[in-house]
Amino acid sequence: MTEPKGRDMTEPKGRLKGAPEASGETEREKNTALVERSAAAYASAVPDQPQDDGFFGPASVTWRVTGDLSAPIAGLRSLLIQALHPLAMAGVDQHSDWRLDPVGRLAATSGYEATVTYGDRASATRVAERVRTIHTRVRGVDTVTGQPYAAGDPALLLWVHAALVDSALAASALFGTPLTDADADAYVREMTIAAELLGVPHEIIPASVAGLGRYLAGVRPELRCTPAAAESMGYLLDQIGLEEDIAELWQDIRDAVIATLPDWAREMYGYPAPAPVTAERRTEIRQALGVLDAVFLAEPGVLEARQRLALRMRSAGSKAG
Amino acid sequence: MKSQARKLVIAVAAGCASIAAVALVRGKAGGRRAGKLRVERGLTALRLVARGGARYASNAPRLFASAGEHRQQLRNDLALQTAEDVAATLGTMKGVLMKLGQMASYVDNGLTPAARRTLSRLQDSVPPMSPELAARVVTEELGLPPEQAFATWDPVPIAAASIGQVHRAITLDGRAVAVKVQYPGIAETIEADLGNVGLLRRMLKITAPSQDVDALLAELRERITEELDYRAEARNQQLFAGYYRGHPTIHIPEIIEELSTRRLVTSDLADGARFAELAGWSQAERDLAAETIYRFVFRSLYEMHAFNGDPHPGNYLFGGGGRVTFLDFGLVKHFTDDELRPLVEMVKHLCVENDPEAFRRAMVDAGFLMPDTPLPTDMIVEHMALFYDTVRERGSRTMTGEYASAVSRRFFDFRSPLAAYAAIPRSYVILQRINLGLFALLAELSATADWRCIAEEIWPFVQAPPCTPMGAAEATWLAGRRDLAQARRAVP
Repeated sequence: MTEPKGRDMTEPKGRLKGAPEASGETEREKNTALVERSAAAYASAVPDQPQDDGFFGPASVTWRVTGDLSAPIAGLRSLLIQALHPLAMAGVDQHSDWRLDPVGRLAATSGYEATVTYGDRASATRVAERVRTIHTRVRGVDTVTGQPYAAGDPALLLWVHAALVDSALAASALFGTPLTDADADAYVREMTIAAELLGVPHEIIPASVAGLGRYLAGVRPELRCTPAAAESMGYLLDQIGLEEDIAELWQDIRDAVIATLPDWAREMYGYPAPAPVTAERRTEIRQALGVLDAVFLAEPGVLEARQRLALRMRSAGSKAG
Repeated sequence: MKSQARKLVIAVAAGCASIAAVALVRGKAGGRRAGKLRVERGLTALRLVARGGARYASNAPRLFASAGEHRQQLRNDLALQTAEDVAATLGTMKGVLMKLGQMASYVDNGLTPAARRTLSRLQDSVPPMSPELAARVVTEELGLPPEQAFATWDPVPIAAASIGQVHRAITLDGRAVAVKVQYPGIAETIEADLGNVGLLRRMLKITAPSQDVDALLAELRERITEELDYRAEARNQQLFAGYYRGHPTIHIPEIIEELSTRRLVTSDLADGARFAELAGWSQAERDLAAETIYRFVFRSLYEMHAFNGDPHPGNYLFGGGGRVTFLDFGLVKHFTDDELRPLVEMVKHLCVENDPEAFRRAMVDAGFLMPDTPLPTDMIVEHMALFYDTVRERGSRTMTGEYASAVSRRFFDFRSPLAAYAAIPRSYVILQRINLGLFALLAELSATADWRCIAEEIWPFVQAPPCTPMGAAEATWLAGRRDLAQARRAVP
C-alpha cells in the first residue's frame, strides 16, 4: 500500500495533474472505478457473521453517522483537512502510491474505516495492526518545513483522527441528519477507540465536541497548504476516478465539501467563498448525494451489507427502546 | 437467514387461511341470496390463499405492479416503520429514480447497462411498510382502521408496488379485494425531487443518452405526478373495466370507489397464472393469450383512445382459453382525436391504401418527420415499414425475438439518415411501448396469429368481420354492448 519511494523526496512538487508519469490504458483504468472499488471494500468490511459487535456496535452513534447520506462529503472533507498538516501530508506524499493509484488508495482508506467501524473486534484490531506495521516504515523529512516526521507519531495520528471526527460532524450538520448535542458528544467519545487502535494514548484524545474544538484550534498554527497538499487535493476534487456519467454529479458534491470547510481551511486552499447553503441548496446537494448513493447501492454486495447492518441496528434499537 | 425469512412467509400465509375462513362464516350469516354470493367470494378468497400461500412462499410473486418484479422477496424484517423511514429510503431522488427506471423501460435499449442495474437494484432496496405503518395510511385515508373499514384485513402485504404495496382484504359486504396502499409522504418527496430539473436532465442523459431529453423529461414528470394520485389510477382502471365489462377474454378488476382515495386503490382481487408460468403451457394457449393482449392494446387505442403504458409481463394474470386479467393502470395515456388521427392515417395509408406520399404527409402531420426533410419518400417508407411489418400483409406470422430486436434496433438507429429529421412528439413518447414492449412480449410467447387480420377487425377505417373464434366472441360482445347502450338511451 505504501511502498517507500525515495525519489519523491527530491522531485519537484506542485504538478497540477495527478499521475503524470505513468499513462495509457492501465492508468486510465486505475483512475476510474472509484465507486466499484469503494463498494467492494465496503461490502467486504461489513461482516456476515460477526463474532461480536466490534468496538462500536449497532446501538452506537458512530454506526449512524458512518451510514449517513452525508458520509461521502465527510470523507472528502476529512482528507482536505488532514492534508493541511505538512507532516501528515509529507508522509502520504513521500510514501504512498496515491499518484499511481489514487482510487485504490482512497478505496483502501474507506475500506479500513468501514472495517474498524462495522467489523468485529478481531477484524478491526487486525486491520489496525496492519496499518501500524506500515506506519513504522513511514518516516522521513518534510521538504517544506524541514522537519522530520514518523507516521506512527501519536501527534500526527491524532491530527488525522480529529480531522475525520470533526468532518463527520460538520458534514452531517450541514447536509446530513444533524446530531443532537448529546449525540455529537457521544460520537466524539465513541470514536476515541479508533485513534487508540492506531496507537494514540487514550489521555490525549479529545472525548467531547468542546475538547475536539480546543484541540483543533491548538493545531491551527502548524497548518499550511503545501504544494503536495494543493496538488493531491486538487486532484481529489477535480478529477478523481469517476465514470463520466457520475462525474456530472461531482460538481455538486465538490461544492458541498467546500461549503463544509472552515473559513481558514478554505482560504489556505484558495477556494472562493461558497454561496450560502440555503434550504434549497441543501436539498439539491442531498438529491445529488442520493443519486450517488443509488449508484453505490447498485454495486455487488452493498445492498446486502446495508441490510445486515440495518437488521442489527433495528434489533439493537428495539432492545434499547 | 433466507430460509428463516421464507419460514416466516409460510407462517404468515397459513395465518391468512384462517382469516379467509372467518370471512366465510360471516358471509353465511347474511340473507340467502347475498349469503351464497358471499360464500362464493369467501371460497374464492380461501382458494386464493390456499393456492397463493405456497406460491408466495416459494417465489414471492405479486398480484400487482411491475416494479415489484425486481423485489423477489418482501423483506418484512426490514419493514419501513415510520414516514421518516420512507423518506430515508425513497427520498433524495431515489423514488424518482425508481419511477424513472420503471418508465424509462419505454426507452429500454437506450439505458446503459450500469443505469439499468442501478435502477433495478434500487427497486430491490425498498422494503415493505410494516403492518402498523400501512394500517396508519389506511386509517388516514378512510377514517377507520383497516380492521373496521374492512371485514378482514391481511396485515402482511402480498405484493410490492413501486410506491406502495398490496394487501388482501375482504370488504364489509364480502368482496375479496386487493388494496394498494401508498407509502406515506412519498408523493410529497417525489414531487419535491421532480422539481430538481437540472439533476433530472443530467440523469436522463445518463440513463437514456440517445433520447430527446427535454421531451422525455416533460412526459415523465407529468406521468409520475399523475401516478402519485391513486385516484387517477382508479379512474382509469374503472374506465377500462367499464369498457371491457363482459368481454369474453379481457378482464379488468372493478374498482371499489368508496374504498379508493388518493393513497388507496381498492379493486376486486384477481387470480391467474403469472407470465413466467405460461412457458409451461401449450403453444395454442400461449397464442390465445397473445391474441387477447394484442386485441386489448389496439382496441383500447383505437376505440377508447387510451393506452395503458405498462404492457409489462408482471401486469397480467392468465386464465387459460385466452383469458387475461389486466392489472395496474397507473400509467395510462389518453389521446385526443387530433393526436390519434395522424396515427390512424399513417396505418391506413401505408397498410391499406398503399399511398406512400399520403403516409409521409401523415408522418409530418403527427410531427414524426420534419416538413422539409430532403429525403426520398421510398427511403422513409422503407425505414418505417419495419414497425408495421406484422400488419402490412395477411397471413399467419410468428412474433420472434429477431423481429422484436430488429424493431428496437431500428428504433434506436440514430445513424440512419432519417434520424436527423425524425422526432417523437411528446404525446407519442408512451407509444414507444408498443414497439419496444408489446412486440418483445409477444415474441417471448412465440405467438403466432394473423395479426393483420385481427388488426383489420379493430382498425376503425376497416372494421372487418371476425377472423378468429376470439374475434367472433368479441363481435358478440360488441353487439351486446351496442344493444345495451341503445337500451340505456331508450330509458328516459
